[in-house]
Amino acid sequence: MKKHIIPLIFLVILIIIPPFLSGYMLRILTAVVMFATLTEAINIIAGYAGYPAFGNVVFFGMGAYVTAILMNHGFGFYLTLIPSIVTAVLFAVVIGFPVLRLRGHYFAIASLGVNVAVMEIVNNLKIAGAAEGLTLPLKKGANPHVVYTYFYYLFLVVLVLSVIFTIWLEKNRFGFGLRAIRVDEDGALAMGINTPLYKTLAWSYSAVFTALVGSIYAYWISYIDPETVFDPIISVKMFVMMLIGGASTVYGPLIGAVLLELIAEVVWSKFVNIHGIVLGAIIILTVILIPKGFLDLFTGGFSWRRLVQNIKENMI
Amino acid sequence: MIIQILINGVLLGGIYGLIGLGFSLVWGVTNLINLAHGSLVILGAYATFWIFHFLHIDPFISIPLVMVALFIVGYLMQRYIFNLAIKADVFLTLIMTFGMDVLLAQLMIVMWSADWRSIATTYQGKSFIIGQYLFPYTRVLGFVAALILTILTAIFLNRTKTGQSIRAVALDMMAARLMGVNPGKTYAITFGIGTALAGAAGSLISVIQSFNPAVGGGITLRAFVVAILGGLGSVEGAFLGGIILGIIETFSAFYLGESFKNVVTFTLFVIILVTRPRGLLGKKYYG
Repeated sequence: MKKHIIPLIFLVILIIIPPFLSGYMLRILTAVVMFATLTEAINIIAGYAGYPAFGNVVFFGMGAYVTAILMNHGFGFYLTLIPSIVTAVLFAVVIGFPVLRLRGHYFAIASLGVNVAVMEIVNNLKIAGAAEGLTLPLKKGANPHVVYTYFYYLFLVVLVLSVIFTIWLEKNRFGFGLRAIRVDEDGALAMGINTPLYKTLAWSYSAVFTALVGSIYAYWISYIDPETVFDPIISVKMFVMMLIGGASTVYGPLIGAVLLELIAEVVWSKFVNIHGIVLGAIIILTVILIPKGFLDLFTGGFSWRRLVQNIKENMI
Repeated sequence: MIIQILINGVLLGGIYGLIGLGFSLVWGVTNLINLAHGSLVILGAYATFWIFHFLHIDPFISIPLVMVALFIVGYLMQRYIFNLAIKADVFLTLIMTFGMDVLLAQLMIVMWSADWRSIATTYQGKSFIIGQYLFPYTRVLGFVAALILTILTAIFLNRTKTGQSIRAVALDMMAARLMGVNPGKTYAITFGIGTALAGAAGSLISVIQSFNPAVGGGITLRAFVVAILGGLGSVEGAFLGGIILGIIETFSAFYLGESFKNVVTFTLFVIILVTRPRGLLGKKYYG
């Protein structure tokens, strides 16, 4: 229980802070919470189970599109959430069955291929507005700040749910099974773990949270198009956040999301022209210098030697 | 009509083969999936463009020049950046090369803007006719250049000492090290060659279509498809994979429409990955 106290304090701060923030700060904080949830979700399949789902953003896009299409046909926002989850889970199960048999590189690029294939299909779907995208009905409210606060809380609820799920996972037979798969899949199978079922379940859980975030995102931004909601760079950002914070930990992804999103925001505002260069450099340096995450670097005191050690382990 | 489409497909496929060759060579030997490959192809296209613009050297003649320049870029990139994390987990190296892709694409936009560029040679748009079939000069020259470079790569890998050391490292790194091969340098040379081939493919692309830094992503994905189609094992495989992709794309563009081309390509990609992950002609690496 002790290790959850600090996060709980942060949660209380997150709950009471919106009225004190400017519109701009609230937008940044909403983006941080959104990415924290996405990262927490990818952590289930990529962190715990060790399956690098490089195309996880496909569920984000799906959630966004299911909500957008249904709302354009007169459904209320909350009514679209169930279909959004169901679509994502069905897709994760149907695609996961063949794709999750692949390992390592092959799974990573197959999931990326699935992502791009779905994006291209949506690009040609009339009901989804094809390449022009879809606009959603605007959320009505007393003033913009109230509306944006509403979206902030929506994202926060999903984040809390995903964190609770991960805490449950840590102590659970299911979570131990996933970690066994990461360490040695054949061994896990030999120990009687139903690995195909576990992997598919892990990907489905990951899909549920990702799709929920996608649904809220669509309503929040109120305009979506295939290039934006299926953008592989969103997957990559999730990965980098997970990395920075530390994979297969409960709170690592949150720390990573805060750090990277804040850095990205500073870079965006100060150097608009070269933000891609800075982001690329951050990604490369993260992989080379802190492949085990930021927390690992500081546990037991920071030392330069640890950085050198990290490089030496992976260099040729 | 079908034969004309087939001809177009094969001619396009040669260039796809060259794009896939550099990509699959790097993947097969160093185990690095280089997501920056498309951006390196575009870098080659820009190099060709500027050489044509300032020195008025024909794009096909400047290919060796572009290749030397890109080899140096690739060698340094692998030696001093990618080699530092080459033994890390798959998804770490994937992310690293993606970071490089983001960096390169933005760098090119900053330096040369996002404007569409194209090279207008005197023979552009002209073609010769055999029987009733049309052969555009630029496409035929592009195909021939791609074929020559593929053959040269095969000869290099099989007949030269450096080429053999590359294959040795791909087969068994420890044994190669014991035989006095320096794996770090060999990786850098391999990546340099992959980049040089990407640059050459960029030269060919700059003649047949207009380009800007944003088209790199699509090229990387095509390199993937080619590498998977042909299997990672061999030079011939990559070339054949390119031809197959070229034919599939031109046929689906003709019968289903230009916008459905990518749907077919990437659906096929996933299906092949799932059913035959080693590719249609796959064998173990470049050994």
